[in-house]
Amino acid sequence: MKPSAFLKSSIKDFTLNLNTDYRYLKTGYYVSMHAEVLGNPVIPSTESIIDASRTPILLLKASKAGIPTLPYLMTSSVKQITTQFAFPVVVFAVNPFSYEGYKTAGNRSALYRAVKSLSMNYKFAVCIQPLKGEMLSFKSIFGKCEHVGEIARISENVYKTFKIPMCKLHVQTIEGKAFLCGLQPLRSEEVFQSDLETVSTEIVLLSNKGEHLVG
Amino acid sequence: MARIACFVERYNFSDPKESRALENFRRVAHEKGHTFDFMFREGISEIPKYDAVFIRATTDPLFTAYVVSKTAWELGLKVIDDPESIQICGNKIHLYDLFKKYDVPHIPTLFLSKDEIHHKRFLEIFENLGKPVVIKAPYTSFSRYVEKVACESSFRDVAKRYFRKSDLLAVQTFMPTAFDWRVGVLNRQVLYVCKYMIPKGRWKHGCKRRGKPTFIWGRTFSLRRENAPLALKETALKACDIIGKGLYGVDIKEIDGKYVVVEVNDNPSIYAGYEDYRNRDLYGKIIDYLAD
Repeated sequence: MKPSAFLKSSIKDFTLNLNTDYRYLKTGYYVSMHAEVLGNPVIPSTESIIDASRTPILLLKASKAGIPTLPYLMTSSVKQITTQFAFPVVVFAVNPFSYEGYKTAGNRSALYRAVKSLSMNYKFAVCIQPLKGEMLSFKSIFGKCEHVGEIARISENVYKTFKIPMCKLHVQTIEGKAFLCGLQPLRSEEVFQSDLETVSTEIVLLSNKGEHLVG
Repeated sequence: MARIACFVERYNFSDPKESRALENFRRVAHEKGHTFDFMFREGISEIPKYDAVFIRATTDPLFTAYVVSKTAWELGLKVIDDPESIQICGNKIHLYDLFKKYDVPHIPTLFLSKDEIHHKRFLEIFENLGKPVVIKAPYTSFSRYVEKVACESSFRDVAKRYFRKSDLLAVQTFMPTAFDWRVGVLNRQVLYVCKYMIPKGRWKHGCKRRGKPTFIWGRTFSLRRENAPLALKETALKACDIIGKGLYGVDIKEIDGKYVVVEVNDNPSIYAGYEDYRNRDLYGKIIDYLAD
């Protein structure tokens, strides 16, 4: 079913909201919102949509769920960042507009540039994490990803906690250990045929719960 | 004794009336034996040190205030405004969808999506809601992002502008009144009642001066909550019941003796000499709720 048709309907059933872009105020968000108002069980929930896109909340909820994370700081003050973290650092935007993901900064001037850009000229805060290893970004489709071991476990657990069907995860690997750093929406051009096959397998499994698929 | 953090941004202190209200909160909290610290963006990491968080900075799921609220909530602290209230009140589409479901008397409202920008749909809207209509962006606050349109071309212009941020908009019947009621509600009880007057020749409480960046605001008259009409208070409480138990400011229009809800706002303005004028105990009630 198309999102526009669902938004006008009053169907009461389990709803799977399938979208690459679940950003707040976008159609993907409104579908989940409408399903919740109707009282339907829905994947993903609006709460998860908002929380997963705010890195500090993502990390807080993830660590409560036992997913390994790194210490973080939320601020828009470069001075505060430099007093609490040594370079290099990873800077994540705490606004839902940016597709850019993250920026790394190895010195003060790079940090100024990153904070200015990701905070949208200091309007929003940014989330800082230490950069001690290597950053890795990958697609997570219903918790499944191309990696194995710890990274695959993070992907599965993030799906269990937030139930975002399609997203991109940012993970940092430090001496063989993996830590969740951020989550962002997928661009439609990043979704390949193999991903769609994973999606259809999951739909078959979920279809036991109800009939309404929106996307 | 409770440790209360009040999350504010610099702009909260730019208006002397708001600044005085914040000082009143601090004074009342101290009188009741609690600590009350102003917390700015740089102090967010100190949230776990407190028992309760009171948010006075503008709330929206996109703003830092939401992260503060959610962090405090996840840590088990008492928080005004709670994240769920911010999520519902911060998005008018969500609010009106709930009003429809629970039959809360509200201004006739339609939702408009991006693919409905065409002549036939405009005709339908004008036929159903009359002319002019009011277009509201879901993230409206302080009378901003709400515009009145009476023809198709202005409808297109305004809608196009608001669609940049949101994929859905609310379109409402235009209901002019001399004032809007504002009912402050805390924990399902009426806290204060005011009349927000509409400035002469305008149609909303706050309006931008033509060609200038400044706003003009209508006057605010406060009433003792005991003296406000019962039906008004009941309507406000009914609207708040579907959202939660926090602090809300309900905007209500009185039309032919009937009360219709315009919207429910979380994080309602509290200015010294306005909202508190006839209900001085509102500071104490809010502090007691946070410290409970």
